[in-house]
Amino acid sequence: MSHPPNQRSSYGLQTPRTRGVPGTKRYAMVIDLRKCIGCMSCVVACKAEYGVPLGVWRTWVKVADKGKYPNTRRVFMPRLCNHCDYPVCVRNCPTQATYKHKDGFVLQRYNRCIGCRTCMVACPYNARHLIPAKRTDDNLPKLVVDKCTFCIHRVKKGLVPACVQACVGGARIFGDMNDPNSEVAQLASKEKLTVLKPELGTSPSVSYIGGDWEIMDEAHSYNNRTAQLKEEFNTFKRNHEGDAFGDIVEGEPTMRQVSKNFGGFLRTIPHKAKEVVDAFVNLYLR
Amino acid sequence: MDDSVIISNVFHHVAWGTTIAIYFWLVGASAGSFVISSFGWVFGITRYKPLALSASITAIILLLLVPILLIWDLGKPLRFIYLLLPSYWHATGPMSWGSALIFSYPIAMIFYTYFVVKNNVTWAKIAGIVSIVLALSTHWYTGVVMELNPGRFLNHTALAPLLFLTGAFISGIGLLILILWIQNMIVSAEKRINWSLIEEMAQYMMYGLVFDAFLLFLEFMQSLYGSLNLVIGHEEVLMGVFRFPYLWMEIVLGLIIPFIILVSPLKRTRAGIIVAAFLVAVGVYGMRIWWVMGGQYLQTFY
Repeated sequence: MSHPPNQRSSYGLQTPRTRGVPGTKRYAMVIDLRKCIGCMSCVVACKAEYGVPLGVWRTWVKVADKGKYPNTRRVFMPRLCNHCDYPVCVRNCPTQATYKHKDGFVLQRYNRCIGCRTCMVACPYNARHLIPAKRTDDNLPKLVVDKCTFCIHRVKKGLVPACVQACVGGARIFGDMNDPNSEVAQLASKEKLTVLKPELGTSPSVSYIGGDWEIMDEAHSYNNRTAQLKEEFNTFKRNHEGDAFGDIVEGEPTMRQVSKNFGGFLRTIPHKAKEVVDAFVNLYLR
Repeated sequence: MDDSVIISNVFHHVAWGTTIAIYFWLVGASAGSFVISSFGWVFGITRYKPLALSASITAIILLLLVPILLIWDLGKPLRFIYLLLPSYWHATGPMSWGSALIFSYPIAMIFYTYFVVKNNVTWAKIAGIVSIVLALSTHWYTGVVMELNPGRFLNHTALAPLLFLTGAFISGIGLLILILWIQNMIVSAEKRINWSLIEEMAQYMMYGLVFDAFLLFLEFMQSLYGSLNLVIGHEEVLMGVFRFPYLWMEIVLGLIIPFIILVSPLKRTRAGIIVAAFLVAVGVYGMRIWWVMGGQYLQTFY
């Protein structure tokens, strides 16, 4: 039996596609890049709302310079989880830790997450991160995967996500795409919207007005990063030992770093072993 | 030159790193060793029976290292048990299948080894058939778990499981040759494995190398004629950051030099076979490194 395009059969923990289906909700965000001024308020608001640790981001803004002097322009590209209608991360998660909510939110359950990072490998948009082992508040989750929730806790109270609330230029617009009176639906009918990596068929819920193909393209981003940005990344990697042991500093011997990464992995074992022992003690001996 | 440059972005980590690459190498070498072990007891090639025990023990030891790597690589090591609990099991997650395979494969191999020691032909054959299916499936899974990520352009190819299985076959034989060589130096003369058998295994390894080179060539063609992501992935990532594991370790040290050794008169020398076996094992390790990290590396700047 064939399905209409918007209700293609879904797999795993994915609710059926709701985009354009009457009687259902499909929360979405439209980002008007013509209005973004690169103030990073959205990034700060998100960090403040969730206490996102240093070195990881739920939302961020990519910056590019276009053109040649004197005809140049700076463009900004806010990024976050695309809350795909057909999310690869949900399909690939081995423990049902991530799932798609009926209203379109792609959410993470910390208590089910084992920190295997399959979803991070699956996500084509870099939207997921592993919460670092060290964070200011020890009572908050650590070493599990986290991501943007489209601020479901605010949306359910009738508020907009924190990044949308904080956006000074009004570039981020949030609403129910299935409600024809919503601002996002009206923008979608009037403006030309583009999404990231449309060829993957993930059907993202975040779309852009005025998107520039070069800044939206993965290969272009890799090939056209400035030497300064490359060096910044290298500095970051040299000074920041991650919890996933795969970072390679460009220009330094690869296999030496592979060995260094393995050393990093070995160094984490005592901490993790302590956590395991503590869990046993708490469970059986207290 | 394109007229825009990326001047600022946040940094994204490579999610699966060295630990996962080593795990892929170990599982592969284990599967390859086990295939050799099964020649005598499952496929009835009796001259291979003497080395069945050494090969299956090698396979078991290599595989027993895997859970150590995998469990401690998890953010929450104690939660590895979730992978096996029905209430957590997620049928569409490739890692769910892999967990079932990684836990059942060593158990089947232990049974097989037990029946080989007891010289129980019927049960050794049955356990051997089950084990060889599990061995191939376990390594097939390592290719699949990387392949089923459509966003990772370098990994998203249906050839991935085949490349992994071929790598497993040759690296398993390579490692087994090294172990049998060492074993022959330790044990008494009557217990030594006949060197002609090892020469024959080296011949199989050579056929595997040819097939591996063919698969790599197919991949190379696809990269050159593929999307910009594939072209950049090949030119800038594999021939850039991962040039050493890709070009030098896998292609030059792991494919070309062993192939030359194994088609030249050097194949009749012990030193030639030992060097070729060692280089093949090193080359496959290089392949695991670039395969796991290269595809992810491209996306860290996105």
